[in-house]
Amino acid sequence: MDVIIEAEKLTKIYPGGVLAVDHIDLSVKEGEIFGFLGPNGAGKSTTIMMLVTLLHPTEGKARIAGWDIVQHRGRVRSVLGYVSQDIAVDEYLTGWENLLLQGKLYHLSPQEIKTRGKEVLEMVDLWERKDELVQNYSGGMRKRLDIACGLIHRPRILFLDEPTLGLDIQTRSKIWEYIRQLRSEHKMTIFLTTHYMDEADKLCDRIAIIDHGKIMAIGTPLELKRSVGGDLVSIKFQENGNGQREEIFTALKEFPLVESVKEKDSQLLIVTKDGNTAIPQILSRLHDMGAEVQSISMKRPSLDDVFLFYTGRQLRDEEASPQDFYRMRMALRRAKR
Amino acid sequence: MKRLTNILSDIWYVCWREMKHFWGQKVRILMNIVQPVIWLGLMGNMFSNITAIPGFPAKSYLQFMTPGVIAMTSIFGAAFGGMSIVFDRRFGYLNKLLASPISRVSIPMGKMLSSALQAGIQSIIIVLIALALGVKFGTGFPGVLVMVLVAMLLTLAISGISLSLSAVLKTQESLMAVVNFLTMPLIFTSNAMFPTNMMPKWLASIASYNPVSFAVEPMRNLILGSWNWGALGVDIVALIGFGVLMTIIATLLFRRSVA
Repeated sequence: MDVIIEAEKLTKIYPGGVLAVDHIDLSVKEGEIFGFLGPNGAGKSTTIMMLVTLLHPTEGKARIAGWDIVQHRGRVRSVLGYVSQDIAVDEYLTGWENLLLQGKLYHLSPQEIKTRGKEVLEMVDLWERKDELVQNYSGGMRKRLDIACGLIHRPRILFLDEPTLGLDIQTRSKIWEYIRQLRSEHKMTIFLTTHYMDEADKLCDRIAIIDHGKIMAIGTPLELKRSVGGDLVSIKFQENGNGQREEIFTALKEFPLVESVKEKDSQLLIVTKDGNTAIPQILSRLHDMGAEVQSISMKRPSLDDVFLFYTGRQLRDEEASPQDFYRMRMALRRAKR
Repeated sequence: MKRLTNILSDIWYVCWREMKHFWGQKVRILMNIVQPVIWLGLMGNMFSNITAIPGFPAKSYLQFMTPGVIAMTSIFGAAFGGMSIVFDRRFGYLNKLLASPISRVSIPMGKMLSSALQAGIQSIIIVLIALALGVKFGTGFPGVLVMVLVAMLLTLAISGISLSLSAVLKTQESLMAVVNFLTMPLIFTSNAMFPTNMMPKWLASIASYNPVSFAVEPMRNLILGSWNWGALGVDIVALIGFGVLMTIIATLLFRRSVA
């Protein structure tokens, strides 16, 4: 797979000296769903705004589909789709008119607008209501229309800034579904920002954790979780196995995958690099030793643990800057209508 | 060539969107009709005796006032041209426009064009109301056409001022304040309400440089029945020049503000 988004030391210092994005390096492959995870004010939106040519980087470089984001802004703009967190659809137009306008802004032919407009509106389940004014749409419908607008010119890369901010559970899972569908059917590359852990975890192929404008860690959700510590396997034995406890302890400690063994509340707690592989090995060894296992369970570190590990704080504790807070409130208010 | 047609298409669709907003707001259209009725009906009655003052250029104050009302309505409409950019910025639509490959200049130009078209429609409404109130248009239908054109040119230029301000000020509160501060003096230091020959000298000399006067003067000549080609030509060229200048300034400021 080719690299389609590349950034080298990308930096943004706002007038007044605020360092919003601090020498970010990243590369995203074609067809990937790449997530930017971080608290409000971490520099997620600023990074996206630089990549979609809305902001000039102070330092550093980035290329989108091979085009430099400063020198070839026109080219960059025509290969990407951008759906901001603002739900920027026009209330005074109908759903169809919003799409028509968007198609015209990308210089599509009337024929293209007709066929693709139908295609994207059907995908987001708004075809039946395309002739209604957006004023009458619910928040979720507006967001879906906004996404449809970002798709009409068939971008190779779709940038989604907080795509599910303030939306209800059903709409969120719908939007996840569209995103997966875009990747599988159109090989579209998707770059999204989020501050929802589950969204990053379930949806993204790879995640970058960003805080104070810096990338703290980057990798697949699984890699990130593994990097902060192993899986926790707990084993409960049948009552009669007590005599072998010492033997079992030493045997388990010799396993290459096992990092530590502890006993707590008559259970064995094993920390391992890779629980999936370790469990069958452990079980067969215990079986050979004649120990009877009553139950076994495994717990993986969550992304919350990962986030805490790399940033030293919980995501939910984060206080939003007044500006972010305002934007979030506006988005929520619009979403609720 | 493809580039040029693209830019023209961009300008048109930015304008198209604004026109959709215009038609979508029924109250606004209603006010566009009510307002001139009040201006013409009320002011016309209140000041009807003013025509008795020696030196007043028209026999009917309504006839004298109609071009003033057209100019005033155009200015008020144009003053809000910049507001649409402020709202687009606030609701994120501006970013959506800017992330698309449309030419940057088409955004202010499209909005200015839509202000001008709306002023054209409003002027026609005012003319119809004036006709209903018994105002005579001395140069007939061709004269009315030129009057509407002049109103559109004036609006183009004034909306350029408003858009330039919106590129610098960025918030609706400050833009409103500055626009309100500018519109009233712009109207009262022109010949829209009062003939220049009856003004104090200092005011008359301000009025003679006020761009609004360049629009009211030819409209008033036309409604009073004279095709003064020389003066008409000068006024229209001045308006076009002012309009082009404001378009350039607005476009440059806008480009700089979003770069």
